[in-house]
Amino acid sequence: MSKFTHNDLIVLLTAIGVILILSRIISELGRKFKFPIVMGEIVVGILLGPTILGTLSPDFFERIFPKDGTVSIAFDGLVNLAVVLLLFVAGLEVQLPLVLKQGKTAIYTSFFGMIVPFVTGFAAAYYFPFLLGHNIKGDMFFSIFIGTALSVSALPVIARILMDMNLFKSNIGMLIIASAMFSDLVAWLIFSFLLAMQNPDESMSAVHTILYILGFGLFMLTIGKKIIDRSLPWIQTKLSWPGGVLSISIGVCLLCAAFTEKINIHAILGAFIAGIAFGDSVHLHEKAREIIHQFITNIFAPLFFVSIGLRVNFFDSFDVVVVVVILLLSFFGKVLGASFGAYLGGIKLKNSLAVGFGLNARGAMEIILGTLALNAGLISQKIFVALVVMALVTSLTSAPMIRKFYSEPSN
Amino acid sequence: MEYDLHKLTKRASFPFETIAVGLSFSPRMAPVLVEAKKIADACNSKLILIHVGEKTKEKSKELEDILFKNNIEERKVKIIWTEGDVVDTILKLCKLNIVDLLILGALEKESILRFYMGSPARTLSRKAKCSVLLLTQDKLVSYPQQKVLVKVDLDHPKTAHSINTAQYFAKVMGIKEISMVREMHAPAMAMTMADSSSAPEVTKLKKEFSESESSKLHSIVSKCDTGLIKINEKIVKGKPGYAIRQYAETKKADLLVINSPDMNLTLFDRIFTHDIEYILAELPCNLLIVHSRI
Repeated sequence: MSKFTHNDLIVLLTAIGVILILSRIISELGRKFKFPIVMGEIVVGILLGPTILGTLSPDFFERIFPKDGTVSIAFDGLVNLAVVLLLFVAGLEVQLPLVLKQGKTAIYTSFFGMIVPFVTGFAAAYYFPFLLGHNIKGDMFFSIFIGTALSVSALPVIARILMDMNLFKSNIGMLIIASAMFSDLVAWLIFSFLLAMQNPDESMSAVHTILYILGFGLFMLTIGKKIIDRSLPWIQTKLSWPGGVLSISIGVCLLCAAFTEKINIHAILGAFIAGIAFGDSVHLHEKAREIIHQFITNIFAPLFFVSIGLRVNFFDSFDVVVVVVILLLSFFGKVLGASFGAYLGGIKLKNSLAVGFGLNARGAMEIILGTLALNAGLISQKIFVALVVMALVTSLTSAPMIRKFYSEPSN
Repeated sequence: MEYDLHKLTKRASFPFETIAVGLSFSPRMAPVLVEAKKIADACNSKLILIHVGEKTKEKSKELEDILFKNNIEERKVKIIWTEGDVVDTILKLCKLNIVDLLILGALEKESILRFYMGSPARTLSRKAKCSVLLLTQDKLVSYPQQKVLVKVDLDHPKTAHSINTAQYFAKVMGIKEISMVREMHAPAMAMTMADSSSAPEVTKLKKEFSESESSKLHSIVSKCDTGLIKINEKIVKGKPGYAIRQYAETKKADLLVINSPDMNLTLFDRIFTHDIEYILAELPCNLLIVHSRI
């Protein structure tokens, strides 16, 4: 087995350092123009990856970001850790009681906001795969993935837009947030099962896998959640602050991720459920929540999002037809579905459209989903690039469209 | 049993014309009855005592003694002895007798199993179609100096009814001061700020958010006719239900007034905790759940 040498360590540390500093600079520049942070990180990936640096100076690119060898393995390990932690923080913000509290409006909005894009995406991929650059007609896994990818929403982007527009605590704002939480939960569940079904473990039947995951989810969201809730006051007062809560929460997240990976469901689902269990606790201090978010969002998120550009050549894989089809499907399915659901739930037509466009922002969640699907061999690079473009376009258009349709309630 | 639904529909949450008391024959029954009598006198209400269970000589004697010792004239109260499921029977009797307020004795905290399975007092609080007053040990509601908190859910149509009912209750009981409490909770805020905010922006956002909540609370409170009662306004941070429970405990409140739940709460709402379940899990003080039949 090859060893991790002195030179390998230098290369790895240099790569991480460059990624963190460059992505911070570019993202801060983008922030001035109200672009999402993730966009800056993707741009850095494109600059450092095969698209720009790899074309201009292939040797230099290969030296810093080697495709094979121990550095590549170590970097892949870090990226996998990053995605697990990103799903953990995504779970931290999913609060099921909020969805239930919003009542039928949130249920209708979430349901139609998921089912319409899922069905349109699934049907397009199943019957007209050539429009998406896919050669196999009737490919079930591919079609389910496209449906799921079009159903997801990006909670952080949506929350930021609502905060900037001073709509965060309005009824519409809370409805959008609750629906986005529910969409995320369902989409990640479907996607995790999809990955498990696509790469079946011969030592475990599908029924066993499903029973394991149901048992794990039920345990974590009931007894596990209760244990976490009871332990947090002790962790936050008796252990060193904030080190105690940081190491215990991330430790539990990694153990849950390891467990779901072991039962042939991707590690992300374990991390996501662990996040929900921690995030729902009333004893998790706001400061602790902020620290966990800061640590993961600013260290691990850049590593993950930059790594995307390091693997994919965005110019070579850019297919106008695929991009346009994905964009049309995403706007049509999500805006129509979520708006219809909100309207059924009693929201006025124009405000329903504001809800639809609010939920249309896909942001980082879409990109994570796409990356995992690309790694699992579910989609091609063309589709992946189209999904990244769609995530960015929907995130950028969400705020102006909400502004266009939203009107204050008259009373 | 037939209900006069016409009388129940859109019936105002106050005045409390008819008050019912659930009798459990526990050691807490006497103090609960005394408090109920004082409230009924102050509100000029009819008082109905309900016991679901076998009527025995011992129970009758015990009730007679309590009524006699506390100067409650038996002929002025209606006593109903009946058998059946405690919760269903009391709910039916409340509808049948157009009860405006149901008074029950309750433990501050129940065992985990009992909480999840649902004790009669907690279950009635979740299901009753009239207002419910849960009386805990050592806390009286019949003295003017008591600290009353009202949980203000902005934008909720029931909130105005709860505020008005709290004011009515304060007025009849001679209470001088009420605190209107708004819980400030911002899910996903930490995630959003970690993503793309500088330190001054975070401070500004938090400040603006807090000011906006204060201003909304003030605008609601200022619309209410509070009369001579002094009104305080307070914003507390945290998850709805839990935050006000903590605040009530810290402030050693005597009475907490909240809206009734919008839906039938089930075991699911105890697992994925609904606001009201945080309060029912550990009552910080007496609890008045205002049911507005709107």
